[in-house]
Amino acid sequence: MNLQNRDLQLTGFLRKNGRWGFRNYILVLPLHNALNQLADQVRLHHPGTAIITSVAHDWSGEVDSDWARISRVFSGFAINPNVGATIYIGIGTPAEEEILRGARARREMPITYLTLKDAGSFERLEQQVLESISEIFPLVASVKREPAPWSAMVLGLECGGSDAYSGITANPALGVASDKFVELGATSILAETMEILGAEHLLAARAKTPEVGQAIIDVVARYERSISYEGIDIRGAQPSRGNIEGGLTTLEEKSLGAAKKAGNAPFTGVLDYAHTPTAPGLYFMDTPGHDIEQLTGFAASDVNITVFTTGRGTPTGSAVIPTIKVATNTEMATALPDLIDLNAGTIADGTQTVLEVGAHIFDEIVAVANGKLTAAELGGHREFNLSRLYGSTL
Amino acid sequence: MITGFLNNSRGIGVRSHQLILPSVVCSTHLAKKVADQVGAITFSHQHGCGIIGPDVAGVNQFFVALASHPNIQSTVVLGLGCETLQGNEVTESITTHHPETEYVVIQESAGMAGALESSVATARALQEDFAPQHTELKTLTIGIEGFPESALINDFMRSAEETGYKTVLSNASKEPSKNFADLVRNKCHVIISFPDANQPPTGLPLIPVITIASSQSMLHQALASEFDFSSSLTASELLQKVVAVANGELTKCEAKKIGDIVVPRMVRSV
Repeated sequence: MNLQNRDLQLTGFLRKNGRWGFRNYILVLPLHNALNQLADQVRLHHPGTAIITSVAHDWSGEVDSDWARISRVFSGFAINPNVGATIYIGIGTPAEEEILRGARARREMPITYLTLKDAGSFERLEQQVLESISEIFPLVASVKREPAPWSAMVLGLECGGSDAYSGITANPALGVASDKFVELGATSILAETMEILGAEHLLAARAKTPEVGQAIIDVVARYERSISYEGIDIRGAQPSRGNIEGGLTTLEEKSLGAAKKAGNAPFTGVLDYAHTPTAPGLYFMDTPGHDIEQLTGFAASDVNITVFTTGRGTPTGSAVIPTIKVATNTEMATALPDLIDLNAGTIADGTQTVLEVGAHIFDEIVAVANGKLTAAELGGHREFNLSRLYGSTL
Repeated sequence: MITGFLNNSRGIGVRSHQLILPSVVCSTHLAKKVADQVGAITFSHQHGCGIIGPDVAGVNQFFVALASHPNIQSTVVLGLGCETLQGNEVTESITTHHPETEYVVIQESAGMAGALESSVATARALQEDFAPQHTELKTLTIGIEGFPESALINDFMRSAEETGYKTVLSNASKEPSKNFADLVRNKCHVIISFPDANQPPTGLPLIPVITIASSQSMLHQALASEFDFSSSLTASELLQKVVAVANGELTKCEAKKIGDIVVPRMVRSV
């Protein structure tokens, strides 16, 4: 790719662990579903203060077979480099303290833990959270943007609501941008294990070492086993009905198109769900194809920008990661303008090339990193889901 | 005597809530905006797409159970369009029995602003067209969740049944929000919750939940003011409270909007 804007410069917030953030949030993270409403109230209490963010979820303290996965997400989400300070609100249980320890062990930053047990009432807890925000606010706001190296970028690659255009427009164009970032020394993460099923041998052939190649093959095999354990043939459940309406015929076809998001760079490593890359390069992360479980896993892995290609159009975003939506076709980009940041449908229209759109995506990533708000951010989207490998109820 | 609301085809409830039902995670934020504008109830969840096997039918059935509950006046189903669990099919399953139900789909509404506008208009029209009537409720169904003292609850169930009320018990889980799913399916009008010692008082948007603290729980004693009852009580006091709540008195969790709806899930997502 011929980068025309050679003077492009990333700016971000340097964290004490050496990671860079492109946003500077104060995150209010409830550790029980009874506190969802309180977290939302606290955020709404600061209407002019866009830096307060919060999430809601359905967890109510259960420590079961998925505990390692769930606690890792609650710890990792809180220390995403886009977060300047985190306030955990909990009930006051040993499980919550384990989450807190996990977060503190991984990043030195202001982390507050306030509990309903200590506060004695929901009102008092809300008051304590508000006081805590007032206390931390000047400290968080005092961290200024500064020029950042390309290695600051930890890019998440995502697709959802794919159609027959995904594999020939938005995904290969995103691959061009991803390759450029990797070449410049940044990190890029492909994910969604279901969506490389059938294409894993092609990705494995691009591994830097035979071990990494084998790990890609193994991750897909493990995934397929865990689905068939439930007595389900994934190839019967996928592509989804929306994918089929969008013109996709088989899971393999969907996978070949989805894998294009990762361009042609070699794979440096394979990551488990919500695990953090430790050196730059292109990675594959084992996540579900579920859009929000993937995005939440990215957030817990220090991803600081996500590009999300979509054929059918989807509004979702993350509470802590700016999420850039790239349309695969002009018809949808025109029909749903407030969901989309950038249209790659021009490739199919014949008015732009894959390389040209790839360069636009690259520029848009830099602009968003430097503070430009995405459609999902403007819409206030903060979806958050806990990924489980087992059922959540009896 | 209990005066409830005749919620049209859903029967007689003790509340008359409009439900904004996001049939997929992707429409949960829109649902919140719509609900806030029209004074309806909603909830956030992570289902409707990327689900497989038993969860496709199971999530659908649970959504239908929520939308069919007698405390619900009408339902607006909000879908995205391309998801696994198709919102139009969820809507059809509800409208078969409850015609006061409409469907809005984001991908056919010119985007989020358009979807918000048409959802709000649809919700308001349903509120106006199907206003509930005050009616006497003779057969109250009372859900009991958690781990009550057996002497109290045996007395309570006996006197409730003598009055002509029905009781349903659910304590499969230590987490109240999971037991609530069972009580929603059983169309309980009011729930009495005896949370586990490590659980806070938790409510539910569509059913009033009366919470009772355990004297053995340090957490409950620290949060005494957040429970409807925090010291010993008799079966007749509890029955009086149930009747008062059925007649419109707000429970603590209801007044503070504490608690979310949790959708049961059987297997992993894809």
